[in-house]
Amino acid sequence: MAEHVSESSGGKGAPSRRKFFLITGWSSLGLFLSGAGAAFARYFYPGVLYEPQTTFNAGRPEEYVKPVNPTEVVVDERFKSSQRVWIVRSSKGVYAMVGVCTHLGCTPNWFPGEQRFKCPCHGSNYNVEGEVVAGPAPLPLFRAKIKLAPDGSMIITTGLLGIKRPELQYKKSTLLPRWTDEEKIDIAKAPYFLEIKA
Amino acid sequence: MAETPSEHGKQQEPGLLSKIVRLLTDNDIYRSFFRTGYPDTLLKRMAVMRSSFVMHILPTKVGTHGLKLGYTWCMGGITFFLFLMLTLTGVILMFYYVPEESRAFTDMKDLKFMVPYGMILRNMHRWAAHAMVFSVIVHMARVFYTGSYKAPRQFNWVVGVLLLTLTLLLSFTGYLLPWDQLGFWAVTVGTNMASATPFIGFEGPFSEFLGVRIDNDIRFAIIGGTRIGANALIRAYVWHCVALPLIASALMVFHFWRVRKDGFSGPL
Repeated sequence: MAEHVSESSGGKGAPSRRKFFLITGWSSLGLFLSGAGAAFARYFYPGVLYEPQTTFNAGRPEEYVKPVNPTEVVVDERFKSSQRVWIVRSSKGVYAMVGVCTHLGCTPNWFPGEQRFKCPCHGSNYNVEGEVVAGPAPLPLFRAKIKLAPDGSMIITTGLLGIKRPELQYKKSTLLPRWTDEEKIDIAKAPYFLEIKA
Repeated sequence: MAETPSEHGKQQEPGLLSKIVRLLTDNDIYRSFFRTGYPDTLLKRMAVMRSSFVMHILPTKVGTHGLKLGYTWCMGGITFFLFLMLTLTGVILMFYYVPEESRAFTDMKDLKFMVPYGMILRNMHRWAAHAMVFSVIVHMARVFYTGSYKAPRQFNWVVGVLLLTLTLLLSFTGYLLPWDQLGFWAVTVGTNMASATPFIGFEGPFSEFLGVRIDNDIRFAIIGGTRIGANALIRAYVWHCVALPLIASALMVFHFWRVRKDGFSGPL
């Protein structure tokens, strides 16, 4: 009778060796599949964006009409459809408001009679400072930055694209629908406000 | 004797129709295709179900309760029929529609007014889509009310819920394709909701700890940008026409297979 060595009762260490191969094999497969899954997820983040620029020239501040009533503002809508920005002229100066409702991103409409922005999608209302006075919006409207070019025209940056929202909202520690007192000081000076000496 | 001759293969004087059927079916070409020959006996009819690829989804015998319209409402079958209709009309629409910002809306308008039969095709696609959402919900209601989700069918209910999700996603991705105001703003609003997801949405809680911003959060991955644009359009198109239908089809095959294995539920 030749010695019969069955597979299951093999030489010393055979079971542990088989276990080692099992663990190695399955973990390799697991590693490969997770790598492939991660690569697949990463694929959905484009490396380059072909989106419209978020910086544009809004002309000279003098072009914008001053309000007759000093407590009201005049909202210019010439850049509303192309840039989603309102140029707001108050009795003291100019500021630029981004026309993106902070609730879910529709474009609100300006009602001069009521001096309010109203969003058609879910009924958020904003006052002339962009503060929420009604509806579901959680934050005031974004302020775009205004820089004066050497020729005196206004360069407006919305910062919607790219790295972050306008700095003011990005740093907003209080998630309130109105500006805090410190923020009110911030939005009354450059770069969020351009004073015009009458 | 009310028995039909075909039941027992009795040789009677065949009529004209039987002669034509015999001519078409009693030959090698027909048998090579259908394997069992013309199913003129009960045994052959059962053999058709067992041996034909096309017919094998059907059981050889169905309990009468499985045919009670008042019990099933036929809503699952109607849903599947609508899916087939949507696939057919959708593929036909793809011959004209180009998912590109400057063309999408005008192509949709061309389909409506200029393409021969475009109006009926587009409207069939649209109405079938609305009807499918409705029929899926009614089908689920029926399954719930008749207790058909209970053991051994619990897992098929789970597959059904996944199919409901896919149906709604198909509707949502199709919404953007006309590139009109309605679809554009609906998808703007809908995808902005993804930004409120905890951790992976830039407006959601805890996202600041992960460094999640507007240009690397989950919404960015969905629409391929920071705003609805060309990337969002082509992505919605590919999800709508290829990826989601494939996933839904795979789940449907499984869903139907489970129905066959578990049998039709019925009144006890």
